[in-house]
Amino acid sequence: MEKTNLKAHKNKENAEADVVEIRGLRKTYMMGKVPVHAIRGVDLRIKAGDFIAIVGPSGSGKSTLLNLIGALDKPTDGRILIDGVDVSTLNGNQLADLRRKVGFVFQFFNLIPRLKARENVELPLAVAGVDKGERRRRAEELLRIVGLEGRVDHRPTELSGGEQQRVAIARALASNPRFLLLDEPTGNIDTKTAEGIFALLRRLNEENGITVIVVTHDQRVANQAKKVIYLLDGSIERMSNVGGRD
Amino acid sequence: MLGDVTEMKVLDIFSYAWGGIRLRKLRATLTTLGVVIGIAAIVALLSLGEGFRVVMTSQFERGFPLDALTVTAGLGFGFHPSPQGTQQSEFYLIVNDTQAIDKIESVKMSTAIISKPVSLSSGGITRTVSAMGVNFTEYSEIYSSTFLAESGSIPINPANDTIILGARIADPWKNGTIFATAGDTINVTWTTGPISKPITKSYVFYVAAILGEIGGFGISGPSDTQVYIPMSTAQTIFETDQVDQIVIQLVDSSQTFIDSVTEATEDLFDDKVTVMSPTALLATVSSILSTIQLFLAGLAGISLLVAGIGIMNIMIVSVLERTREIGILKSLGMKNRTVQIIFLSEAALIGFLGAAIGIGLGWTLSNFFARFGLAMMGGAAGGGPMGGNLPEAGFSITPVLTPTIFLGALAFGVATSVLFGLYPAWRASKLKPVEALRYE
Repeated sequence: MEKTNLKAHKNKENAEADVVEIRGLRKTYMMGKVPVHAIRGVDLRIKAGDFIAIVGPSGSGKSTLLNLIGALDKPTDGRILIDGVDVSTLNGNQLADLRRKVGFVFQFFNLIPRLKARENVELPLAVAGVDKGERRRRAEELLRIVGLEGRVDHRPTELSGGEQQRVAIARALASNPRFLLLDEPTGNIDTKTAEGIFALLRRLNEENGITVIVVTHDQRVANQAKKVIYLLDGSIERMSNVGGRD
Repeated sequence: MLGDVTEMKVLDIFSYAWGGIRLRKLRATLTTLGVVIGIAAIVALLSLGEGFRVVMTSQFERGFPLDALTVTAGLGFGFHPSPQGTQQSEFYLIVNDTQAIDKIESVKMSTAIISKPVSLSSGGITRTVSAMGVNFTEYSEIYSSTFLAESGSIPINPANDTIILGARIADPWKNGTIFATAGDTINVTWTTGPISKPITKSYVFYVAAILGEIGGFGISGPSDTQVYIPMSTAQTIFETDQVDQIVIQLVDSSQTFIDSVTEATEDLFDDKVTVMSPTALLATVSSILSTIQLFLAGLAGISLLVAGIGIMNIMIVSVLERTREIGILKSLGMKNRTVQIIFLSEAALIGFLGAAIGIGLGWTLSNFFARFGLAMMGGAAGGGPMGGNLPEAGFSITPVLTPTIFLGALAFGVATSVLFGLYPAWRASKLKPVEALRYE
């Protein structure tokens, strides 16, 4: 049921194609007058259906890397190809279009407080010009998938941290993204609720074939992944192909 | 390249913008209030002005038949032929000039008018008014709808001491205190001779008739605040052949006749006269009114400018407050342009609401003023030649809200808001997604 509803990009032809290809990526930004080299030469390939955890200490460049992959930021040097398209060649509008193919989940949920759970999930679809009826159907379906069918008309303030994060995940899934990018998704919720989020991510990856890229410094999150990338001072220190999965 | 990409629907943009306004009710209300006040002031002034114009026009046409031209000596508007002015001017019209004018093609007839200030005394009350020396027969033919007796009758062959009073001369206060009625005799006093050595003379007149109430402003033609004596008497007592006005009646009121007779008359007097047609006079008055109206609306517009700055101020704050929200929208794939349109829509909605309420308020205000405000000012506005003696001139203004004023005010309110929303909206659209998302 869920498999058919979530049009996963896990079809046979695409399975081995690179969703993301990163070559010689560098990102330097200015902190006042001091240049900060957040990413210093990263090469990475992410395939459809991957579940990748990017771990590392604070300031290692995890979030910067995630923002670059999600086209929220532009690289200083190097290339990021998403579905074979070089992000650095895109203009503002094209970047915006690209972001519709990416499902972002933030540590602080970043829901719009005045909108109900359903309306928050509908938002990316509204931005993409999807009809109201279609939007509503899809939002309610996604909220059911993340286990919030009873919370459709609640506003973020009426939801717990875990519930808000589920809404955020449902929103990220709304536009049928090529992959989900999660920035510390469990950083702001309690351990027990976090367990539920891991389970959800794993289910989405395994059952629906959703590509998941998650930044975390929570080892338990990393344990859910198929591949773990250790980032230190802006470069990949090591990569372990199979995480500590049970 | 990136598949089919459609854009956010207009209705969704407006609904999202509306949500943003509703979230900050008090602030949005106060911002809107600025627009409301500005638009209300503009609408009130314009609709009152428009009402004034309508009254002017109708009053004007009542006292001033469309087939009549007014000839005055010299170059000027000739609204108020002033006795001093004509005395100082080298050229003046005389009574017999009508004979030459009558020969012009398309002229039915013409009649001369002498106008002089006189004092009327009756029952211990003295008042200064304009006495008009006219040929009763010709005058009543030209002004057939206004030069009509309500009591008494206008004699065809008047005696020398005949006088006809305007309605407001006979009954100045409209409260039963009658100055004079038909059949009374009143004393008329005037001065003659050079200004340096004036001689005061007086004469007793017999009131033959009281005119019906005309209304209007006494710009031309019969007025409620004038008195009328026979032309021959005026010539005798004022010791002059010099006339202030010659009124020409045309065979027809078409513009062709007006133009040809105007030109022929000007030629006849070597361009030393001003020929005024009611349509031209009306156009002049109308254009003066428009200028005044525009000036007042401009003043009201300044309040809208202040409102605009208020909108800009509030929106800049709003953009700052919602930086994170803007970051979220951008992370969801919203384009810069769409972000801009959302904020402009908020401004437009505020402008639209403010203008709509402002039009309603302005309309209410103008009706209120028309009913209560102008009643108090009525005396001053209608005093005319009586020097403010009259408490009431008997005219009232009904404000007029034309489609132009309505739509113009609406468009102006929205346009001002959007204009001042441009900069904040641009700032919102230029926010970098990563930085916006990091904003606390």
